[in-house]
Amino acid sequence: MTVERLDFSKSAPLTMGVELELQLVNSRDCDLTRSASDLLSQVAKVPHPGEIKPEITESMIEVSTGIHTRHGPLLAELRQIRDALLEVAARLNVGVAGGGAHPFQHWSDRRIMDAPRMRHLSQLYGYLAKQFTVFGQHVHIGCADGDDALYLMHAMSRYIPQFIALSAASPYYQGVDTAFDSSRLNAVFAFPLSGRAPFVQTWDEFNVFFDKMRGAGIVASMKDFYWDIRPKPEFGTIEIRVCDTPLTVERAAALAGYAQALARWILVERPHRISEDAYLAYTYNRFQACRFGLDGEFIDPVAGTRRSLAEEVTMTLGALAVHARELESEPALRHIEAAVHGGNDARWMREHYERSGSLTDLVWRQVERLRAEK
Amino acid sequence: MSDLFFLPDLRAAAGSLPWHALLLLGAALAGEAVNRWLRLPRMLGWIAVGAALGPHALGALDEAGLAQMAPILDVAVGVVLFELGQRVDLSWLRRNPWLLGTSLLESAAAFAAMFGVLVALEAPPLIAAVAAAIGISTAPTVVLTLARDLRAQGQVTERVLLLTALNCAYAFIAVSVLLSWAAREHALDWHAAVLHPLYLVFGSLLAAALFAAVTLLLLRLLGRRHDAQFLCVLALVAAAVWAADTLRLSTALTLLAYGVGTRVLDRQRLFVALSFGRVGAILLILLFALTAARLDWTLLAAGAVAGGVLVAARMAGKALGVFAFAPVSGLPLRKASLLALALTPMSGIAIVILHDMAKLYPQLGPSLAAIVVSAIAIMELLGPLLGHFALVRAGEAAADGE
Repeated sequence: MTVERLDFSKSAPLTMGVELELQLVNSRDCDLTRSASDLLSQVAKVPHPGEIKPEITESMIEVSTGIHTRHGPLLAELRQIRDALLEVAARLNVGVAGGGAHPFQHWSDRRIMDAPRMRHLSQLYGYLAKQFTVFGQHVHIGCADGDDALYLMHAMSRYIPQFIALSAASPYYQGVDTAFDSSRLNAVFAFPLSGRAPFVQTWDEFNVFFDKMRGAGIVASMKDFYWDIRPKPEFGTIEIRVCDTPLTVERAAALAGYAQALARWILVERPHRISEDAYLAYTYNRFQACRFGLDGEFIDPVAGTRRSLAEEVTMTLGALAVHARELESEPALRHIEAAVHGGNDARWMREHYERSGSLTDLVWRQVERLRAEK
Repeated sequence: MSDLFFLPDLRAAAGSLPWHALLLLGAALAGEAVNRWLRLPRMLGWIAVGAALGPHALGALDEAGLAQMAPILDVAVGVVLFELGQRVDLSWLRRNPWLLGTSLLESAAAFAAMFGVLVALEAPPLIAAVAAAIGISTAPTVVLTLARDLRAQGQVTERVLLLTALNCAYAFIAVSVLLSWAAREHALDWHAAVLHPLYLVFGSLLAAALFAAVTLLLLRLLGRRHDAQFLCVLALVAAAVWAADTLRLSTALTLLAYGVGTRVLDRQRLFVALSFGRVGAILLILLFALTAARLDWTLLAAGAVAGGVLVAARMAGKALGVFAFAPVSGLPLRKASLLALALTPMSGIAIVILHDMAKLYPQLGPSLAAIVVSAIAIMELLGPLLGHFALVRAGEAAADGE
């Protein structure tokens, strides 16, 4: 068997792009509804930037931006794509909502999109594929080469819990309060190749690892790794995959801006010595972030510190100020700061449900929240 | 003999067989058979058994037996209309005004086409108009049952439900207006001609609004306990049917508007997940079977040709309305053609209207019935098939036939 080398495409460092998976709900009881094909047949007629694409089920639609160097234009593009999608959705009477999971849908009702890869996934993973009807945000950060990408990936893994806590928007799942801020990630963790990447530091070493995995028949392509953060060699990026889709595009853009500023800090100042030891507390910290959100505890096993994630974010924001100025992403950081004080979307959802007592009403508010300017 | 006194007298028992129970049993079995072996909608089995046992075929259910069941049927129709009203999102019309255009045009074109055919067949214009008005409506029982059984979701499904609710409303208003004209012809004074439709429309809407308000008040008191909610609403629907009947309002319009009202007034969305569950399913089986039993299938032979032309004209009219506004309303042509097919079912309501009319103006009855009944009989079988085909082919069914 000829072994193809996995080449890392060059991309402009610190560029960014965002993908958002959005929920499609009906306007009656706000349950997920199969309408991706209907929407896609119409969005082509409305001029819009970026891309609007099908996903694994008919109840999900994915939007993605182009490549950006600045937070402002990224946010503007996300708003334009959202407006185009919502214009079509309004005409077809379909609600579009953010959030990491639908609060009360039953996964057995989901139908898998009629495409070969989707069918393959469905056969391989059985009920997991349907239960995987969860909605995430992916943030891509451009890297000059594969070695940089791996360094950035390992250094960034320390901040994964922050991204989980800041974006968490799936407290309700299958009709119950899961007690988690992000229940979505529990669905992701069920997959065999989820979790973290192995500790390899150069692109050559990564190729050796990848060849072993492919040679053993464990994976066919990079797509089969469901890691929290992974290199995306075709794009020349690293991809942060732990975020729940936030309830607003403003938060989605702010998370991307935060990731970009973090990446600049990490690559310019190299504040962390990456090591396998840094991963000692990885799953513990990740659980804390999923379960308790910004109130979760964060342990840095290398520095020997123990703080709440809210404190960690605040400290990180301090370190990023200079870089945010360079990248013109202060508005993004201010948004993140406000989220630390005002709470994440999971908190907003719980507060709303406490008032209304209706998950249906909650979903409708999510639809309105995505639509709202601000 | 006397030592076997405890054995039943079978000869006497044969006369008092529980036909209603047997009807339900037969319909349920036939429905499953049709679904399992033919992969067709269950309602075809229910219809077949009802028609077979009805007074015009085997005669197991006679007119008196049917009359006995009438109150249950009225509630069943009420439940269906209420549920349809509840499923319909009128705010969609604001966001996509072309749908209102579609609705008005498909109804008007279907009316015009049927009227034209009937006049060409030398029906008196007034009778032609009443029959054409009845034909405007798509059968809510059929489309609702199909959508639910197939767990269909998508543009064809949502639109067929919306258009059905609207064309039922138009059909009723049109029929009531035409009946007033008929009343004038039959020497009632002009007050009746003007006031009767107004009374029907506004009276029905007012009654619906009152019922909706009371329902939501009660539901708020009950809180989120689903069983209690369901019983409460079922009772109120039955009460609304009775009220509409007693006040001589339109049952159809009242219940439809009642359903819409509960949705519009329910700002906290406390009430949306309500379903009539198993009781609703039993009511539906009875509704289909007993409606089919009422149909005089013997008229089919006599009116088949006229009825067939009428059916074709109606379909053409509806298709015209759907296609004219399909592109601007955001529906690809393939789905538009399936939507036009899905709109063809015609049954329950038409018979209810026909019945109401026959009660009010017996003079109108027979000549009208002959033509319309054969059209209804054709649609009774064709409608569910076409509707089923449309939703499955549109790719909107959760699972084929299940």
